[in-house]
Amino acid sequence: MSHPRVILVEDEPLVALMMEDLLTDLGCEIAASFGSLSPALAWLAAQVRLPDGAVLDVNLGGGETVFPLAQALRARGVPFVFATGYGVLPSEGFDEAPLILKPVDPGKLIPVIRAFGAAA
Amino acid sequence: MVRAAALRERGDATPDPLLTLVETIEDLSSARTIDQVAAVIRSAARRISGADGVAFVLRDEGKCFYLDEDAIGPLWKGRRFDMSECISGWCMLNAQTVVIRDIYQDPRIPHDAYRPTFVKSLVMTPVRPRDPVAAIGAYWASERQPTEDEIAKLQIMARATATALDSAVMYASLSETLERRKFLLRELDHRCKNTLAAVQSIADQTLRHAQSPRHFAEAFNGRLGALSKAHELLTREEWGRAPLGDVLAQTLAAFGGVDGERIKAGGPPIRLAPETSVAMHMAFHELAVNAAKYGALSRDTGRLEVAWVVEADDGRPTLVLTWTERGGPPVTAEPQRGFGSRLIEQGIARDLNGAAVIDFDPQGVVFRLRAPLSDRMSRA
Repeated sequence: MSHPRVILVEDEPLVALMMEDLLTDLGCEIAASFGSLSPALAWLAAQVRLPDGAVLDVNLGGGETVFPLAQALRARGVPFVFATGYGVLPSEGFDEAPLILKPVDPGKLIPVIRAFGAAA
Repeated sequence: MVRAAALRERGDATPDPLLTLVETIEDLSSARTIDQVAAVIRSAARRISGADGVAFVLRDEGKCFYLDEDAIGPLWKGRRFDMSECISGWCMLNAQTVVIRDIYQDPRIPHDAYRPTFVKSLVMTPVRPRDPVAAIGAYWASERQPTEDEIAKLQIMARATATALDSAVMYASLSETLERRKFLLRELDHRCKNTLAAVQSIADQTLRHAQSPRHFAEAFNGRLGALSKAHELLTREEWGRAPLGDVLAQTLAAFGGVDGERIKAGGPPIRLAPETSVAMHMAFHELAVNAAKYGALSRDTGRLEVAWVVEADDGRPTLVLTWTERGGPPVTAEPQRGFGSRLIEQGIARDLNGAAVIDFDPQGVVFRLRAPLSDRMSRA
């Protein structure tokens, strides 16, 4: 059984803790966890071994969104899922991207992780 | 219904100027923006007044702004003049209609600005005479005395324009309010869901470390209370940046309060972004609960001091905060790492891109936070 290496971007520390636990419970290894965009972008740029997947909060506070990182991940072929409290994504270009709604139903994470595992 | 424009298009004789005036007033009353008001005046004022040119001038931050014009030759469209150096300014400042038969004989006219134009005589009338916000000018290429009738019609149009401008301002503010309301409802939905996600996280974390349902209920209710207080503070700050001192004062209120004696807290003004403020609130709550159960706040002799400073770290302003407990029972063993220590040592450290360590010193718990100032945490 594979243990996909996953990165998490989530600006709410409380929610980040839970997401890390949920992902770990589901057999993921947390490769890195970020609360804002720029350290995540810098981390990704420095990786030789890419992660198997990413769980991305859309709004990172102070008007910052996660979309630049999503673009960078897409360019490198890393699958990702958005986790958001918004019913629809407030951006074009990611209409087909998988979406899980907050508060998160852990059951909804299982197929997402399976897809990450298949990519691993 | 008879429309003057339709008559003109059919090539009929010049329509009744009164009909044109009534229609213009109707058009002005349905204008929704200042540009629409200007467009109505541009298309009608010349016909109504019989002038060779008209201009619509707005009073704009102490200047006369020539917003629009319709004339046989160019006037001053798009230009701005000081109120004191143009006749529309004189007209608005004095709230009076100006009638000038020969502009080159009138000292109020800046002759240099008129020389390139066709203008020889004019009428300028203020819009909203009690407190003029604009002016309508009518210009003739020949030296002539404008008739009483022409002046009266321009003044009637100016009155209708005043009402139209007021409506445009009201309409704009109404649309803005409605937009704002839509935006706020959407934000509210988003924040509700984020808060539910925070509650979900608290429930999940509390359950993972609870020894019994009773322990779960006690810890969960306390944490829910702290989250609720954190939101109360955010609402008071209108979801802006909450002062660090207020976050501490509110958390510690349930534990005796910052009294400068048993519990001290102080440092330079620092403000926290909303998400950071919630996380810090929860972190201080965890430390305070621990202090009340096992630490300095469990004894009358115990003291708690929270002090923070901003230091330069490699030239970068950095917050150094220390939570020091003294006078409590000796800290014998490091307690099991639970929700509180994870939230502080991982969550807060990660959020602020700094270091957060809880030291279980035998003399009392010490928590140290060291993090660079950023958009999440800044000087007030």
